[in-house]
Amino acid sequence: MEAYFVAIAIIVAIYTLLALGLNLQYGLTGLINFGHVGFMCVGAYTAALLAEQGWPAPLSFLAAAILAALAAYPLGLVSLKLRDDYFAIVSLGFSEVVRIVVTSERWLTNGVQGIPGIPKLMGFTGSGLVQASAVLLLLIAVNIVVILVMRRIVHSPFGRIIEAIRDNEDAVKALGKEPVGFKVRVLMLGAALAGIAGAFYAHYIGYVAPDQFIPLITFQIWMAIIMGGVGRVSGALVGTVILMAFLEGSRFLRDVVPFISEVEMASVRLGVVGLALILFTLYRPQGLMGDFTRR
Amino acid sequence: MASFVELVLTGITSGLVVGLAALALTLVFGIARFANAATGDMMTVGAYAAVVSMAASGSFTLGVVAGAGAGIVVALLAHLLVFRRLAARAPVTSLLASIGVAFVIRAAIGVAFGHQQKVFGLPVVRPWRIFDVRVQPIDLAVVIAAAATLLVVFLILYATPIGRRMRAVADDRSLARVSGISPDRVMVTMWALAGGVCAVAGVMLGAKTVVSPDMGWDMLLPAFAATILGGIGHPVGAVVAGILLGVVQEIATPFVGFTYKIALAFFVLLLVLLVRPAGLFGHSEGAR
Repeated sequence: MEAYFVAIAIIVAIYTLLALGLNLQYGLTGLINFGHVGFMCVGAYTAALLAEQGWPAPLSFLAAAILAALAAYPLGLVSLKLRDDYFAIVSLGFSEVVRIVVTSERWLTNGVQGIPGIPKLMGFTGSGLVQASAVLLLLIAVNIVVILVMRRIVHSPFGRIIEAIRDNEDAVKALGKEPVGFKVRVLMLGAALAGIAGAFYAHYIGYVAPDQFIPLITFQIWMAIIMGGVGRVSGALVGTVILMAFLEGSRFLRDVVPFISEVEMASVRLGVVGLALILFTLYRPQGLMGDFTRR
Repeated sequence: MASFVELVLTGITSGLVVGLAALALTLVFGIARFANAATGDMMTVGAYAAVVSMAASGSFTLGVVAGAGAGIVVALLAHLLVFRRLAARAPVTSLLASIGVAFVIRAAIGVAFGHQQKVFGLPVVRPWRIFDVRVQPIDLAVVIAAAATLLVVFLILYATPIGRRMRAVADDRSLARVSGISPDRVMVTMWALAGGVCAVAGVMLGAKTVVSPDMGWDMLLPAFAATILGGIGHPVGAVVAGILLGVVQEIATPFVGFTYKIALAFFVLLLVLLVRPAGLFGHSEGAR
């Protein structure tokens, strides 16, 4: 039972990292990133391939973050000068193309079979529950550091500018600041976070395959940050916990309602994420516990 | 040479599918002002409705009509239940909600019909030979269906009062409003058109390949690329760009491989955004 809760907590912590990155991009800056899972995928495969080569984890995690950020750079440069929704389309396309590339380039990624046997993190602590708890502690520490940095960003001049870009880009331009540079930096920062989350994911699950990085993941994160409250650093955590309760709950639902097959359950999950996106945008755009007075 | 002509012909037929999807996207983009991510899944609706009604009646023509009808119903439902209520808010909200609509449609189809691929079960016919060039009869059917749909859409857009009002709203919404044009009726007509066009595109795609719950979603990227290449809100541009994209994809397939067909659309998209974000036919102020 403890093992189960630790496992869930690890996944929550990984999703929280993803949600923090998206919250920085959408919640604080207003970037509509529909391709978050693409950056996660880049990070996961980087970590997996470097672990195969015997790189130590700190270095491969750094590489995962850097490569994910570098992948974001040209995308941002091309599309962030244009209308908001262009970036949404480009980022969604990017995540699909990343999945096509890791599916097709068999010499590097082993295609649809994926890369198995990625070593567990914190292996020196032993095995089983102790090792899993060590990974969880590490993830919590990373999350705390990221949250502290986010809070610093929110209260820094940089944070004020990105929030101003979200609220009124023309005003920022009129004040002599070029929004594109800030947007590209925010995009790369969020992508780096997604890359680190992907690296954790790869090491925790133990294998990576293209099927793990479908757009549904991106929109689960969107659902999480909208439920938790867009633009709130704490919202990322709250939303992720609710999301995970739902995802895990749907697994138990199958034990109660045995006539639903696994394939049907996948459709049901997709439908619930879709329905949640619709209902929240219609009725509670500020999130479950968001401020009623704003927007 | 003959095989090159065959590639171009295949490109044109698959490009017509992309072009129709892009036409639906561009109508919504021009008038409701957001990128409708549910476009692909409205295609899937059309394909499934056509498969079901063709299995029941045995007539492909009836299948196309039933598919178009189902697409119109679903698009109108999406408009009335979701998009109309979001019209006053930022376009981002509608975009996000359209992803939700897309997922709900795909989930409903997945639950109702399962994930096995379905086929139309059209009789296998020997391809015709015209000057040494092989032409599949199904491709001809696709071209006819597409041409008929385009004819209807462009007649409505350019030869009827409601079409004139639609173009007026697309040009300048507030000016249209003060001229006494009711946006509500324009929106309903636009969504019916978009849904019907999507559905026909879906039927065509399903007839050429197979029908599965994911088929429409996978077409989203080429459709977006064609919409932007044609210039957002530009119906003729969308169709021309779709055909161009289809031909480029087919010609490039022997070089880049089948799996990178979709990825190619993405690079076309990036290239257009880099070089000419307004698209081939658009005005530059629309893109920034």
